[in-house]
Amino acid sequence: MSSLESRLAAYIASKLPHATDLHVHSLDRIFGGASRETYRFVLSYREGDEELSRRLILRRDPPGSLIETERVVEFGAYRAFYGTAVPVPEALWLEEEADWLDYPFFVMEELHGLESSPQLLLGPPYSDYAERLAEQKWTILGEISKADPVALGLDRVMEAVNPDQCWQRELAHWEKSIDEDELCPQPVIRAAIRWLRRNPPPPAQKISVVHADYRTGNFLYDTEGNIRAILDWEMAHLGDPLEDLAWGLNPVWRWAHDERAGGLARDEDAIRIWEKASGLRADPVALHWWKVFSSVKGQAIWVSSAKEFTEGKNQDLILALSGWLMQNSQDRAVLAELGHLS
Amino acid sequence: MKPDIDRFLDVAAAYLMMELAPTLGSGYTQSNVGILGMMLAAVREEFDRAASRRVEENRAMRRLFGEAAPVVQDPVLQQRLHEAAQGDEADFAISALERSNASLRQTLIDLQIHVEGIDTPQARRVEEAIWRELAASTERRRLMMGPF
Repeated sequence: MSSLESRLAAYIASKLPHATDLHVHSLDRIFGGASRETYRFVLSYREGDEELSRRLILRRDPPGSLIETERVVEFGAYRAFYGTAVPVPEALWLEEEADWLDYPFFVMEELHGLESSPQLLLGPPYSDYAERLAEQKWTILGEISKADPVALGLDRVMEAVNPDQCWQRELAHWEKSIDEDELCPQPVIRAAIRWLRRNPPPPAQKISVVHADYRTGNFLYDTEGNIRAILDWEMAHLGDPLEDLAWGLNPVWRWAHDERAGGLARDEDAIRIWEKASGLRADPVALHWWKVFSSVKGQAIWVSSAKEFTEGKNQDLILALSGWLMQNSQDRAVLAELGHLS
Repeated sequence: MKPDIDRFLDVAAAYLMMELAPTLGSGYTQSNVGILGMMLAAVREEFDRAASRRVEENRAMRRLFGEAAPVVQDPVLQQRLHEAAQGDEADFAISALERSNASLRQTLIDLQIHVEGIDTPQARRVEEAIWRELAASTERRRLMMGPF
């Protein structure tokens, strides 16, 4: 048993006082993005005469993080949407103290035997299900957009914002991130930021829960073309629902290298599905603003990833790869959205 | 150096992605080896053009600054543009070219901010020239593996 397994077992034992013979085994780090270290493991224990076993996921803060995220928000989002029309794994325990595993973490259910890779979707059998997955993907986003954050209790863990201030708050947040983390001047994205300030969008039509990284790659799907869970809620916040719609339409997620958003559907089809499911409207002028913004936000993330890796705070190779591959694509994406890419 | 570096990187990237990665059981380790292979492929693409694209870009910005200087109304910025326009590359090490590039790109940002605030046809032409250079720069830096 590894040190991490035994320490994790001790933590879980403290949460399950009636459990005996409790073991954590088969702990294996998996690829789960760079904002948290992600491990799968098996929990086995006895409760009375019953032997129980459960596959679980540990999400632990890394020494450095790609995105400054609040695990309380991520955990809260999983809890809030569990059992609703937005499929998510069951979140079990949140630990904000570093005493148990050196860094804060949370534990949730593992949905076993599913895939999340955008690349796998491009080949059989999944490529046959692109339309089906698209219908589900943007229908689920519509459910997130139309959900009432207060009824879900998420107003208690997410900062309130007025409809006319959503864009300013998000733009200021990500511009600050670029200010702090850029390792070299970013003329394209700086020009885009000035354009965004000169051309503010209309107020949000409603304040929604914004997943904030809703894209192909952040949901689990099965071999029958069903989306089984929406993951990676670490950037979730309250805001304009068009932020989520625009993020998923960003060209950097066109995994199939064609015009399909997220490798699944053309923009107009994705928008139609989302409008039907959410009951909201994707005003073209507002959506254009949020599309430009999505590239600013994306570039802020890639710039930060490059800095984290360069400074050695986090040596996860995905940070280096995203710094290299994504920054140029993100510049191309915003140039295209602003009509400057021939 | 023989074998050529691009040949070596091709073989190394293919080995990591096609032969080694599939044999690894752990998802995280397998992903990382795949990423290493992708990064070697990106290095291979960048290696041959690294100096030439930086020289080309730096010269394009210096040319643009020379053409834009008469339109600029701020004497300090105008002087910076003149000085930048008259410079050239003396050191072709990538690190030196990169330092020049960063300095020139910051000047480009300052120039763009300046002309955005001037309401004349000449300023609009400079602004359009800046956008063309930004698009050209982005194309120069493009990696085949990039998602867009």
